[in-house]
Amino acid sequence: MNKLLAITKKELLHYFYSPMAYVVLWAFLLINGFLFYVILSALSKTASPPVSPLSIIFGGSFFFYLLTIVITVVVTMRLGAEERKQGTFETLLTSPISDFEIVMGKFLAAFIFYVVAWLFTLIYVFIVKAYQKDLDFGPIISSYLGTLLLGMFFISIGLFSSMISKNQIVSAVIATLIMTMLLGITFLEFISSGVTREIFHYFDILTIMDNFSKGIVDSRNLIYLLSGTAFFIALSEKSLEARRWQ
Amino acid sequence: MIEAISLTKMYGTKKGVENISFKIDKGEIVGFLGPNGAGKTTTMRLLTGFLYPNDGDAYIERNSIIEKPLIARKYIGYLSENNPLYEDLKVKEYLDFRGRVKGLKGKELKNRIDYVVEKCEIRDVISKLTGSCSKGYRQRIGIADALINDPPILILDEPTQGLDPAQIYHTRELIKSLSVEHTVILSTHILSEVEAICSRVLLIQKGNLIFDGSLEEMKNAFKKNQVLDVTFLCDETKGREILSSIKKIDRFEKLQNEGEGGSSFVIYSLEGEDIREEIFWKCFEERIPILRLNEKKKSLEEAFLKIISEESKEEEIQ
Ligand SMILES: Nc1ncnc2c1ncn2[C@@H]1O[C@H](COP(=O)(O)OP(=O)(O)O)[C@@H](O)[C@H]1O
Ligand SMILES: [Mg+2]
Repeated sequence: MNKLLAITKKELLHYFYSPMAYVVLWAFLLINGFLFYVILSALSKTASPPVSPLSIIFGGSFFFYLLTIVITVVVTMRLGAEERKQGTFETLLTSPISDFEIVMGKFLAAFIFYVVAWLFTLIYVFIVKAYQKDLDFGPIISSYLGTLLLGMFFISIGLFSSMISKNQIVSAVIATLIMTMLLGITFLEFISSGVTREIFHYFDILTIMDNFSKGIVDSRNLIYLLSGTAFFIALSEKSLEARRWQ
Repeated sequence: MIEAISLTKMYGTKKGVENISFKIDKGEIVGFLGPNGAGKTTTMRLLTGFLYPNDGDAYIERNSIIEKPLIARKYIGYLSENNPLYEDLKVKEYLDFRGRVKGLKGKELKNRIDYVVEKCEIRDVISKLTGSCSKGYRQRIGIADALINDPPILILDEPTQGLDPAQIYHTRELIKSLSVEHTVILSTHILSEVEAICSRVLLIQKGNLIFDGSLEEMKNAFKKNQVLDVTFLCDETKGREILSSIKKIDRFEKLQNEGEGGSSFVIYSLEGEDIREEIFWKCFEERIPILRLNEKKKSLEEAFLKIISEESKEEEIQ
């Protein structure tokens, strides 16, 4: 565990020292803040808002997915690619630390960054609370849960992409492609029927996030996001072993 | 302590190293000597577990580098050829990280950092970014990293490459002082470096281990005597009689005949002598046909010449 945390600490130092992380964090907060403001003021014009403004921030709009992709790609793209480019995989992989600890340490660092970014959005919750006294916290908590789980899934995808890439750009492209394809499953639902449609429905992230924002925590959704995360973490670990056999 | 058993590594279809075996005991200071592209780095990467062999295995303190990699790697401090560092970390952050990755923590970690900082004389740059350190300092940071968990074995890939003469001198002194407590394996393509530090040489050429022994033995092996492999069409006694009568022959050994008839010998001339002509005339006199006459050991000699010539080229550049 100590070795794993050493990796996490090192990765957090890299974030801390690089301008990229700050830029993304600021952009994330700005866009989310703006979105929130627009939604809130639009809804306040109607007497009884049909939906909670928060549900739109959490998966109810195109912006949510854009932001999630951008932030998870940016925090993961250097994790493996940079080690490879600088040659530091050689010192890392010859140290008495397991491939799993290396991968999990990196995953944890990216996840911490992601959580910190979303923590700032708690401010919005308190603002809404001030306007809407009878605010139901159930959907809000489940929305945060869904957001964290989706973040984990996307971070594991970004991590894997970075492990197999020579540079950060390639890593970002691969990760974005995989994430976009996963989101695109929602369209496959339209053009299919029967059992296939059921299967696509199960993997449809838009439906899953919609459930979370309504306060529905479906175990099938949890299983999909968690096993997806485990799958890409395992692939990342295998990619390190494959390097040694190359 | 370290045992390599027929290590073979292919890069696709290209050969990295082939069938390399050796044993290194505690306290030795061994030099991997060979021209560029010989396979020194590949061998070291196999020993440190950065690469796994296609065939064979290596044991570090009896732990297979493939089956028990975490234990095996714990015993090794490795300075890789390019000595990559995290350029955006400060030197102290870098050593702290490396120590933790190798399992140190708390007071022990602090003490070890203090020790390696003193030992490698990097106190002056401790708060600088590793990326802004000079080549000489970078090399010492790399050695400090290798030393941090006090491993019994140090593997140093071309530790003096790219340094100026004063830095080379200092690095060699440092390595010598480390060899008191650690088993050291270093690689170099410079013969004089082996002469300056090592007690034993493993000569690697084109992916093969072609010599393993002391420096003295290597020099003897490379003396320019002629080694011939001959077959005479006569019995062994007659063959020995002919060879004994030639003064320029240092010694000879009977070889097992491979079904071709006659008797075969391997013959070592005195240094600098060509004995082929004399053997011919002697056999002519005795009316003994020569079935075969080959000059042996060319590859060893060529390897050595190549190393020597590369070395002199390098000295011209400096
Ligand atoms: N990653 C690699 N991919 C392909 N070939 C390689 C790789 N690394 C080394 N080689 C080849 O393997 C041989 C041995 O290289 P190396 O071990 O680096 O030699 P040395 O360290 O003695 O200079 C060389 O022919 C080199 O070109
Ligand atoms: Mg090399």
